Amino acid sequence: MNIKFLNPFLEAAAEVLEAEVDLTATRGSLSLQKSALSATEITVLISIIGQVQGVVLYGMSAATGMAIVSRIIGQEFSEFDGLAQSGIGELGNVISGRAAIKLSQAGYETTISPPTLIIGKGAQISTLDFSRIVVPLDTRLGQMVIHLAVREAVEYQTVNALPLNSAEYISATVRGEMNQQ
Amino acid sequence: MNVKFLNPFVEAATEVIAIETGLQLQRGDLQLDKTPYHTNDITVIIAMVGSVVGNVLYGLPTPLAVALASRMLGEKLDSFDALAQSGIAELGNVITGRASVKLAEAGYESTISPPTMVAGKDIMISTLDRPRLVVPFSSEYGPFTIHLALREGSGVVLPSAKIPVPHRPDIH
Repeated sequence: MNIKFLNPFLEAAAEVLEAEVDLTATRGSLSLQKSALSATEITVLISIIGQVQGVVLYGMSAATGMAIVSRIIGQEFSEFDGLAQSGIGELGNVISGRAAIKLSQAGYETTISPPTLIIGKGAQISTLDFSRIVVPLDTRLGQMVIHLAVREAVEYQTVNALPLNSAEYISATVRGEMNQQ
Repeated sequence: MNVKFLNPFVEAATEVIAIETGLQLQRGDLQLDKTPYHTNDITVIIAMVGSVVGNVLYGLPTPLAVALASRMLGEKLDSFDALAQSGIAELGNVITGRASVKLAEAGYESTISPPTMVAGKDIMISTLDRPRLVVPFSSEYGPFTIHLALREGSGVVLPSAKIPVPHRPDIH
């Protein structure tokens, strides 16, 4: 896990919370975790695919989720219903999309997946062999925790240069190398 | 949700599970579900981008997960430990990878994400505005369900994002 991938997400989260929710986020201390995450009530999961690959998770309590979504949509929510879920999913989507643009500016092309929402306290969410950088963001509506489990995909770099039928190209290259030996 | 995305997953799952574990699955009736999925112990989540966009969920109870992992690894596992988790995530990865190859053959190029695993019963997983096409399978160790929340994408895959299958999770 490369720490340079973290800042785009932190900046994007702070900017989006400021612009969409009028919230100032204060960053807590970083930690690196390898064990499964024991989820708070709401977790937004978005996959990142491309030159940086992995997953980003945004975790928060139901109260924080509802308070945030009430501000985004402009109506009060007393339960975390379909509309509220959609709002929080979209928040994760906007933050990740903005982070992807920043990653692209830094030279890493990525595509983000549509969001999935995991609802239920105590769910164990494992990113397997991807360790997570965990950063809590404190706001006056509560805490949002960003978990970033990504790494650089080194083998992509050569793919750009491959012709369309890359399987034939690779097999021709391998045969060529074998002939040389 | 496009039904033509279904068969590649059904074929891939049946083939991969038969080849890797020797377990035969019986397919049940399809359902379209707009409500969140209430999990059955273990769920593997894999995202797809490209000409096919969305998420695939694989849901299964712990006894089936342990049985599948034991058969894959060729050793009897007693609990759903880190090794078993890695095995089941890899199984989801291989099924999705194989399905994406079949989708590509049908003209839908896509790239799949690394797997994420969610453990816990009756956790809700919502794919939001994308309804899930649910394909249930039964086995002697319990049900295995595939949930497809996919739609046709723009087809714009970044050249840099074209890899067939992500890294295999390291088996520790």
